[in-house]
Amino acid sequence: MSLQALAEVIKERLGTLAKEVRIAKGHVEIVTEGGRLTEAARALKEMGFDHVKSVTAVDYPKEGKIRVTYHVSSYLKEDLSKYIVGLSVDVPRDNPIVETLVPLWNSAEFFEREVFEFFGVHFKGHPDLRPLLLIPELAEKRVLRKDFVVREEGIYEGVPHEYK
Amino acid sequence: MGAGVGCPREGKVYAGNLNVAAKRAREILYGKLKLGEVVDWATTFSLWPVHLMTSCCGAEFAATWSPRFDAEQYGALPWISPRQTNFIIIEGTVTRKMACALRVTYEQMVHPKFVIAMGACALDGGLFYNSYNVVKPWEVVPVDIYIAGCPPPPEALAKAILDLRKKIREKKMASRWLTEGWREDREYLVPKEDVCRWWRP
Repeated sequence: MSLQALAEVIKERLGTLAKEVRIAKGHVEIVTEGGRLTEAARALKEMGFDHVKSVTAVDYPKEGKIRVTYHVSSYLKEDLSKYIVGLSVDVPRDNPIVETLVPLWNSAEFFEREVFEFFGVHFKGHPDLRPLLLIPELAEKRVLRKDFVVREEGIYEGVPHEYK
Repeated sequence: MGAGVGCPREGKVYAGNLNVAAKRAREILYGKLKLGEVVDWATTFSLWPVHLMTSCCGAEFAATWSPRFDAEQYGALPWISPRQTNFIIIEGTVTRKMACALRVTYEQMVHPKFVIAMGACALDGGLFYNSYNVVKPWEVVPVDIYIAGCPPPPEALAKAILDLRKKIREKKMASRWLTEGWREDREYLVPKEDVCRWWRP
């Protein structure tokens, strides 16, 4: 199955669930609307996409939205395992809530925790939504959002002089 | 047939004879070195690093103890438990969560103990300069030797161990530590409450 054919199949299968299906660089990109993410994910799972490779998010401060993307692929179906499908959903920036996909794909659990701590996206129904990599006070600052200001260091702050 | 029967070296201890070794050491050292200097000399041959792999420099650490570079010839044997080691190599970036683990591991090691900070990240952040989640290792533990490079080659790490041995003998680090209990010039920069403040049991 070629990438073109896969996009056609997905477009046919999802129908109105997908706002947009297009071929990006080497993978198929699907954009859905807020309430239809779970249905679209279920349809993809019935097609044979059985795991999430990564969950990521992009911050668009000017448009006031955050785009959460699930990259899914397949282990068991050989013709699908060559491709990656990105399933995206746009959420408002001030109140980002996404329905969790952990009941469908178990491997999304830790990725969703990461997106939660870096972008502040809340996943409704997630079994254990705690910060994963950052310390709690850093996680509250939502460090990968565009408006987070990184502390600037000088060119060389220096190492304490050699102890004698 | 019993073990050793017919063997020409029957009756000898193959692993080394302690009495003979002690006698030879006495011949070499007696009247030439002070007791503290003997302690320093002996410590340089027993630097056992604990394996705390914080980042990708751990691959170079592994290569240094491979047969090709063989850092064990300097008396350094990588060991698992911090309780039986006296030497720690910070292998790369130290994140805020790992800083606490680093401090706890360092505090568990026996005196006298030494630290080598390895790689550009351990110097001043390196690739992760200006990051919100990286701490400099010298804020967490007192560092003796720094190695530059991203990552440093195994030869550089072997050279750093040799430099550390030289430093221990020249500055009498081990013996001074043992007589004074704790070296004042090796005070921690940041108290433990700050390093581990995120940790709530």
